[in-house]
Amino acid sequence: MPLGFDIDPNLCTECLRCLAACSLVKLGRVQLPLARIRIQRQWPELPGIQVCRFDDCPDQPCIDSCPVEAISRSPQGFVLIDRDICTGCRACVEVCPYRAIWMEEDGNGPNFAYKCDYCGGSPACVPECVTGALVQKGGA
Amino acid sequence: MGRGSMRDVLVRIDLGAGRAAPWTVPDELKPYLGGMGYGTKILADEVPPRTDPLSPENKLILTVGPLTGTMAPMQPQSCIVTKSPLTNTILNSYTGGFLGAEIRFAGIDGLVLEGAASDWTLLLIEDGKVSFHSAEAVMGKSTAETESHMKERFGPGVRTLSIGRAGEKAVAMASIFSETRAFGRGGAGAVLGSKRVKGIAVRGSGAVEVAQPEEFSGLVRENMELLKAACAEEYNLVGMFSRVGTGAGMGLVNGRGALATRNHIFGSFDGGTGIDGYAYADKFYTRAIACYGCPVHCGMLHKFTRRDGSSSWLRGPEYETMFSLGSDLLNGDPVVLAEANQICEEYGMDTLTTGVTLAWALEMGESGALKEPGLDLKFADPEAILGLLRKVGEREGIGDLLARGPKRAAESAGVDAGRAMQIKNSGFAAWMPRRMKGTGLAFATSNRGACHKRAPIGAEITGQIDMDAYEGKAALVKEIQDRVNAIFTLVSCRFHEFVTPQEAYPRFVTAATGREISLQEFLRVGERIWNLERLFNLGAGLSRADDQLPERCFEPIRGEASEGAVMDRGEFGRMLDEYYQLRGWDEDGIPGRRKLEELGIPEYIALAKR
Repeated sequence: MPLGFDIDPNLCTECLRCLAACSLVKLGRVQLPLARIRIQRQWPELPGIQVCRFDDCPDQPCIDSCPVEAISRSPQGFVLIDRDICTGCRACVEVCPYRAIWMEEDGNGPNFAYKCDYCGGSPACVPECVTGALVQKGGA
Repeated sequence: MGRGSMRDVLVRIDLGAGRAAPWTVPDELKPYLGGMGYGTKILADEVPPRTDPLSPENKLILTVGPLTGTMAPMQPQSCIVTKSPLTNTILNSYTGGFLGAEIRFAGIDGLVLEGAASDWTLLLIEDGKVSFHSAEAVMGKSTAETESHMKERFGPGVRTLSIGRAGEKAVAMASIFSETRAFGRGGAGAVLGSKRVKGIAVRGSGAVEVAQPEEFSGLVRENMELLKAACAEEYNLVGMFSRVGTGAGMGLVNGRGALATRNHIFGSFDGGTGIDGYAYADKFYTRAIACYGCPVHCGMLHKFTRRDGSSSWLRGPEYETMFSLGSDLLNGDPVVLAEANQICEEYGMDTLTTGVTLAWALEMGESGALKEPGLDLKFADPEAILGLLRKVGEREGIGDLLARGPKRAAESAGVDAGRAMQIKNSGFAAWMPRRMKGTGLAFATSNRGACHKRAPIGAEITGQIDMDAYEGKAALVKEIQDRVNAIFTLVSCRFHEFVTPQEAYPRFVTAATGREISLQEFLRVGERIWNLERLFNLGAGLSRADDQLPERCFEPIRGEASEGAVMDRGEFGRMLDEYYQLRGWDEDGIPGRRKLEELGIPEYIALAKR
């Protein structure tokens, strides 16, 4: 089964539990500006949900955009950025159709691009979404 | 053990001097846990009870608590404590949304606003650093316009609070709005206005950690399961809120003859089914909106067509507003109700006290005691309702009278204050003391006036206990007041406790902060705060005479569902006596030395001395 998320913005209540859970599992602390999923409030219209769509992203342009081949798709479908190779050029950030890649910019030394890595098969955000706006598709 | 959730820093903002500085939380404040506890102790320590609420000597303390910004569900709120210009008492007022979490992300536990600025100001708090900006561009603007301006000026990621024209003009029931949610009660908007602060924007990029991550995660999981189960239950109140919002319960209240209608003359409203949560969900596009981290998502965003044909939207109305701008005004039109709610939001006014004041004015208008050129003061009349609301917000014509709050309006006009449904000049919440005796006692004894947040509403309205009985209510009210004060130190949503056993709270506090605390001590914190507030209020000049219900409560309710239901004057007096006794207060409601020593605050008796 192709890897990705079933996303229904009609069901999203904009509670941001997905962001909190994401930062907690990735960083060990709640820190929303570093989450690998973002929710844009657009009242009264539906929210914009920014997260990597994995196999639902037809061309996966981030992979080809990377001049140093730091981004790859694993056999399971995880699209991953290798921090040891990433030069922080922002090319992937610019091409992502879902605006789901961000730069870690702390002002000290080189920056890195980061994105959702699907938590190795069981995304931490999904169980937090009580309304089913964000549902796991494929994976472990 | 990791760093705890509290940052032990508040930012003190001296508005007169245009300076701000971090203030390390002293050890003696820490047992008050945060939120309402911090605010109450700081105000009691630093603001003399006789202070004019609108003078620079009053302070406004905005705080969060040990659970704010964490993964713990239903902890989005932040708390303001100040002296109220509406009630002349100490006030605690709350907003949901995202402001609380952002304050925590900014690396602080809150703000203390002191003095008054010489020019109208916007404050920007970025990761704890404060900058002062001119508010000239937004003077006279609505709360939503002020919010948009701040997001444009300071970046879209900021969370905000702001006042509208009512706050600028010192309307006694002016509130402070934060993204359609509000510090609604008690006139905190007028206090902010008196300090010439039009709005505050907060941006935080920081992290939230807890002292015992594994224990904390376990508690979060456990609590989430409880809440999810409650949301899945058909007749669980929280479940109903999650489906159609807080207006879900209106049918139940109406059926029990406890829906205050036509300025509390009647106990049921024929038009109730046209304006309740189900009606809005049925008639209008509806989308559930949550506060930070909340699985209940009781906030309902509706799109609707205004009377002039334009399309519009509103997140609300909430249940209490369905009473105050609906049934109590005999207004059964969901569009008029939504527009009335919008006017309160635009001007920044508490829908409750404002609506209750209108209900009194309409009754007085129908009896001929009050008049206003150009408006026909009649119940159910959209022009009267919407017109009066704007006049209150502008303090124009009769609006200047009503802007003082229900009791003071009646006294100033020299007409019947016994029909103004208020305690300490704060309008009634949506509940009828004649029908719910414990709730009546809770209204009367509330330190902030006619407050529904510490009343046995759930137990009485669902029939879990006999709503008409007097017996046992004094003890129940005291218990709820103390417990709710305790959870407001965290700062929990009031609905969290509907589902969560009280034993969970001290466990959450310990896991978040590392501070060991027993349930008994946790509840004692609530009682300590309650007594501090009481001492402050006594010092401000209040007495047993202010713990009374308006005259209408001693006259029978009319209308089929609860015809004849009444509060017996003697029984009410006995409940009040028993309540004082259980509190360890004398017959005048003054806390006794023994009680204050037991609570560890004997020196605060000095507050009560006038």
